[in-house]
Amino acid sequence: MKKFLSLMLAALMLLSTASAMAATVTLGIYPVDTDSAAKENHDTYYIPAFKELYPDVELITSNYTYAVETFTALAESGKVPTIFETWYTEPQKLIRNGQVADITDALTELGWLDKINPSIRALLSDENGRVYGVPRDGYALGMMLNVEVFEDAGLVDENGIPLYPKTWDELIETGKIIKEKTGSAALCLLAQDNAGGWHFSNIAWTFGAQLEVQDENGKWLAQLNTPEVVAAMTMVQTLVREGLLTSDPTSENWGTGFAQLGTGAAAMYIAANDAVNQPTQNNGLAVDKLMMIGMPAGSARSYSLSGGTPYMFAANATQEEIMAALKYLEIMGRAPVLTEASKAGLRADAEYRVANGIPVLPAFPVWTDEAFNQAQADVVAEFSNVDDRMFENYFDAVSAEGGLKMEEPMETQQMYGELTKVLQEVVTNPEADVQALLDTANANLQTILDENVNK
Amino acid sequence: MSTIKSNALKQSARRHRALKDLGAWLIMLPGIALFAFFVWVPLAEAVRMSFYKTQGMRTTEFVGLYNYSYMMLKDPDFWPAVRNSFLYTGWSLVIGFLVPMALAMMIHETKRGKSLFRTAVYLPNMMPALATIFLWKYLFRADQTGYVNMLLGKLGIAPVSWLSNAQLVIPVIVVIMTWKGAGATTLIYLAGLQSISQEIYEAAIIDGAGIWSRIRHITLPQIYNLARTLFILQIIAVFQILYEPMVLTGGGPNNASVSLMQLVFRQAFELGDYAKASSVSVMVSVVLITMTLVYNQLSRKKEM
Amino acid sequence: MKTGRRSNELGVLRPYDFEKPSVKLGYALLIALLILVLLISLMPFVWVVLAGFKDQREFIRGVRTVMADGSVRYLPRLLPEVFDLSLYVKTWNDTRFYLYYVNSLIVVAGSAASALVFNGLLAYGLSQLRPRGHRLVLGLVMASLMLPATTSMAPLFVNINRIGLSGSFWPLILGVGASAFYVVLLKNFFDNMPASLLESARLDGCSDLSLFFRIVFPLSMPINMVVLIYAINGAWSDFLLPYLVLNNAKWASGATKETVMVRLFSFQSSNAARDIDVIRAIVFSIIPPILLFILFQRRITDNVVSAGIKG
Repeated sequence: MKKFLSLMLAALMLLSTASAMAATVTLGIYPVDTDSAAKENHDTYYIPAFKELYPDVELITSNYTYAVETFTALAESGKVPTIFETWYTEPQKLIRNGQVADITDALTELGWLDKINPSIRALLSDENGRVYGVPRDGYALGMMLNVEVFEDAGLVDENGIPLYPKTWDELIETGKIIKEKTGSAALCLLAQDNAGGWHFSNIAWTFGAQLEVQDENGKWLAQLNTPEVVAAMTMVQTLVREGLLTSDPTSENWGTGFAQLGTGAAAMYIAANDAVNQPTQNNGLAVDKLMMIGMPAGSARSYSLSGGTPYMFAANATQEEIMAALKYLEIMGRAPVLTEASKAGLRADAEYRVANGIPVLPAFPVWTDEAFNQAQADVVAEFSNVDDRMFENYFDAVSAEGGLKMEEPMETQQMYGELTKVLQEVVTNPEADVQALLDTANANLQTILDENVNK
Repeated sequence: MSTIKSNALKQSARRHRALKDLGAWLIMLPGIALFAFFVWVPLAEAVRMSFYKTQGMRTTEFVGLYNYSYMMLKDPDFWPAVRNSFLYTGWSLVIGFLVPMALAMMIHETKRGKSLFRTAVYLPNMMPALATIFLWKYLFRADQTGYVNMLLGKLGIAPVSWLSNAQLVIPVIVVIMTWKGAGATTLIYLAGLQSISQEIYEAAIIDGAGIWSRIRHITLPQIYNLARTLFILQIIAVFQILYEPMVLTGGGPNNASVSLMQLVFRQAFELGDYAKASSVSVMVSVVLITMTLVYNQLSRKKEM
Repeated sequence: MKTGRRSNELGVLRPYDFEKPSVKLGYALLIALLILVLLISLMPFVWVVLAGFKDQREFIRGVRTVMADGSVRYLPRLLPEVFDLSLYVKTWNDTRFYLYYVNSLIVVAGSAASALVFNGLLAYGLSQLRPRGHRLVLGLVMASLMLPATTSMAPLFVNINRIGLSGSFWPLILGVGASAFYVVLLKNFFDNMPASLLESARLDGCSDLSLFFRIVFPLSMPINMVVLIYAINGAWSDFLLPYLVLNNAKWASGATKETVMVRLFSFQSSNAARDIDVIRAIVFSIIPPILLFILFQRRITDNVVSAGIKG
């Protein structure tokens, strides 16, 4: 009730500044049919608040779950929702294909343009600096741990905190103990689809690898068979030979990895902070039995692959519609604006998480607005349902100087595909020749780069 | 005078015929329109698109045989897919061609319970393909929670990674396809066997023919024509395999199970390159047509 | 002359053969093998229903057991710990599966009608009416039998989008009306219809069209049943084109338009589905075909066989 009143108060205050907008906004970001808790959030808080402020804007709620096979068709027929959520890998492709709207002007008008975290902003811009999307949340890869498995293996300290590995060598040693004491896999490594290559690229970075470079003529060169990458893949081969992986990594994808971790079939899994609901809410792991640490270091330092789930806008949306959609985000608390409405939105989200057994964690800073970030931190402090020590190492790692790296820029999905093929061979054939496989992958990627980029 | 009358008659008969023909064409029109939209135009489009570059769904510039040469010379997955498509076909003939024949012959011999066996064998065929493929994916799970491995475990055999072993994956997929498809073929053979008259067998027995002799000289020749037709039909069907590798393994491990039609799907719907996808599907069609023509030629020769 | 359906029941073996003990043994082995085949055919269905009763951890990992040496192991079990039907009900409600059932039923009903009417009219024209030039159409239809349907999937999808029919059931329903397989089945049947019957109807002044609906169609019930059963099963099971066309499509009310198979297929591409929910979705998706099979089993096996032979 109090929340509703504060929203109404905010609405009344803002009514003076709201302009009359005549537009139709299709909310592709409306939750999916089966998530009644999230729908309730929208129905009872966000939508009424929006309607109060912008009565002339028609809001159509229609969940859109991004699907790569059918998006092009949707774009061609002009049926893309005004605002929709997509995967972190898509923005550059969508921008290149002209399938998303340039929102730089709207962002400038709202004053948000300069507040986007610069590293994420690059992902959402074209080569002229025009911006096409807004980050929902940022993420950085780290390692998730199932505390119960560590407990069963006797690998916890006197405070009950797991004795976690800081390097890949330590992970191998820890893994052997886990395997012996519990039978669980040490690590769930992915090798079914491109997500395998995605995770592996981060592993390669911790060995000092750089997977794509541009020479002085601007030509892009594949670097998949350098000694650093070979070292990383050899480490993976050691994991295979010691039997520390799940029984069939080639059937593991992003979702099944969480099933393995959440149920304890694997002790550790490379994952990001924006997916903490997967092992917990979806796979039954208790909220206080999840730990996150930074990526283990290889022969080089620890790096975290980071990106941000973007909100993007239909190419055929008008400026009014874009503005209206951005205002909706503001009400949801997803914008660097501190209003009563957005604060209420933040709280609503935190309450939803607590009610559904999802860890309430500090958000990854996607905006550089001090006041907003502080407000976010305040909400988290109030609603926190986890032991901070369980996430300390992770947040230390991702906020360390230079700890974040953006993914390789060119034909990334195809690069991941080539790396996954190598992974598949390595995990199914203990005698695989790592150098030869990486040489092939490198040649393939170079062909693809030459065909699609170096023209 | 009679010629004028007969000419007039002929004219009115012709007009009548023309009207009748028009009526017939109108009746067939809906079906023809649907065939045009769903079958003929897309096939022509596929051929046309294969000679162009595409941006999204539109064709941009004419590039002749470029897509074909790219796929055959540069694409890293093309030749593995070709190899696999032939492997699938080969394995399916080894595992899946004789099984329905043998099953039909066995069921035909049973004195009681024919109907039960027929029904049981046909049930998998009636089930939705996607559901059964998913089902078998779980049954063949690589760790000890997979049902097949659980059963093997009772016999003391260690769990096998069925779908991630490059040597095993294609035969395993063929086994799954056989489980699903053998039923219909078995029933067809069964009907063929039931049409063999009793007298022939009885005559052979009087002549002193043993069991194997009867099978070789009576049963097999009778179903020979049926087998021949089903042979080419099976080859054509298996060569186009798509759903099984797509759902079971995604083409892995490391292209060990990727099929040509899977490449088509990947190029068109995952990478968005409709032109390259069309070029692969045209190549598949050419192979299939060639196989059918060669087969027809060979079987015609045999008859001579 | 022995006639009747069951006259050719005896196969290669004769009563006289069974006097030899080796033959008796061989026959026993044969029956044992067939029983094994029966089990292999049916076992997966039994398994999946049982598996659906487990919960996610039980299914993925197993049951927690403390071993003799003190270590903890999770061991897989065939039977679930508890037979809790409410788990099935929960997945049904949580995923709102009934919506998908309704959509599938709509597509199935439409496809069945479309298959019979459009293919029937075309086959009728090719078989009985045979206007000038019909050979061309017949040839084109037969040619398309040889070519893979998936070849044309991409351009077909492009065309469906161009005429604005994506997100609608019509492409799926109408597509079944252009099936070379059904046309051939129907045409073969019509070819064997007694010409005298049709002649007398024509003499009575029946037009070609009403001839089809009043006489040809009712008389083709045997083959219609075959087409119907194939079409119903095909429409229920089809997933590739339905996925491309119906993905994310919605009714005006906001409810999804996806069919059961599209939903199942999206489990494959969207990675965040729980395995145990997928298992239960598999069970939901095979219940109607199993029911259809049980009800029409005799019909199906008999008619399919005769149609197959003639084809």
